[in-house]
Amino acid sequence: MALRSQLLKGVLDACVMAVVEEQPVYGYELSQKLQGIGLPDISDGTIYPVLLRLQKNGFIRGEMRPSASGPNRKYYFLTDEGKAELEQIASEWIQIAQPVSQLLKRGREDERNN
Amino acid sequence: MRETTELIKENNYKRDLLNPENEYVYENMLLYIRTDLRIDEHAAEELLMDLLDHLLEAQENGKKAEDLFGNSPRAYADELIANLPSQKRRNVFWFTASTITGLVGWFAITYGIANVLISFFTTWDNDIAVGSILLILLSICLVGSIGIKLFFTIIRSSVFKHKNQQWKVYLKAGLYGMAGVGFILGITFLFDGIGPVIHVEWWVLLLIGIMVLAISKSFSRLSSDQ
Repeated sequence: MALRSQLLKGVLDACVMAVVEEQPVYGYELSQKLQGIGLPDISDGTIYPVLLRLQKNGFIRGEMRPSASGPNRKYYFLTDEGKAELEQIASEWIQIAQPVSQLLKRGREDERNN
Repeated sequence: MRETTELIKENNYKRDLLNPENEYVYENMLLYIRTDLRIDEHAAEELLMDLLDHLLEAQENGKKAEDLFGNSPRAYADELIANLPSQKRRNVFWFTASTITGLVGWFAITYGIANVLISFFTTWDNDIAVGSILLILLSICLVGSIGIKLFFTIIRSSVFKHKNQQWKVYLKAGLYGMAGVGFILGITFLFDGIGPVIHVEWWVLLLIGIMVLAISKSFSRLSSDQ
């Protein structure tokens, strides 16, 4: 999945913030979690441009912490600005997700009905 | 926050843990990102450390560098660079100041030592024409600054290419080096004896050189201050 379009970029930003909000994670953990929730074709590298962008905007910040496996890792935390941003994206998403997916899978519903 | 130099040191020994294939791809990535002078050095080193940690953990789980950087590592690196904060203007200023004073310092030391060596074979009057020396310094700075920029451009165009293409890099860098030295020598011969002539002992030049190098070092520290 080439995350070129603005829409997918925005969605991925929100997904990363949602994972980070739940629990601070480091890069490798984050990519595993995103793959684990079933997003298709998220490659390991996809997250780093996103993490950089979110840091630049002040939505997340990195901090060195010892990891479960021992060595120090850069863990990402959601900032207050990030919380507000995530809140906003989430409420917008919830409003459009249901009707849009209803509309877009119309063709497939028809196939099933026939 | 970890210092930039600490990050670089840590990166150096951690890179040894990569297997040869992953190390090759990662080092290309590192070279490409480090030679981009527009981006903030500290943020770039933090990112490189993140990527290295990720690659090491992925390697333990049997993954390859392509799984992390994709099939087009150069495009991926460009995407990362686009999202990195840019270098602060203040840092660019001190970096330039440090490079120029560094060149001047080494020039003074080399000139001083050359004076001593030449004085063994022939009489050397230690007289310096102030105007000529300033012109020579100016041309060294010019050749030096164009050289740094060109050198980085050449390196960046060569990474992510096959190893057997690398001789072209050395050829280009060598040709520029020769042209640069030729230019400086040309200036030296063409503009000899301009301006008032002063007498300077070789050890004075050496002392001046060392002092200017110390100043250059402190400029360099300022340029990497966060």
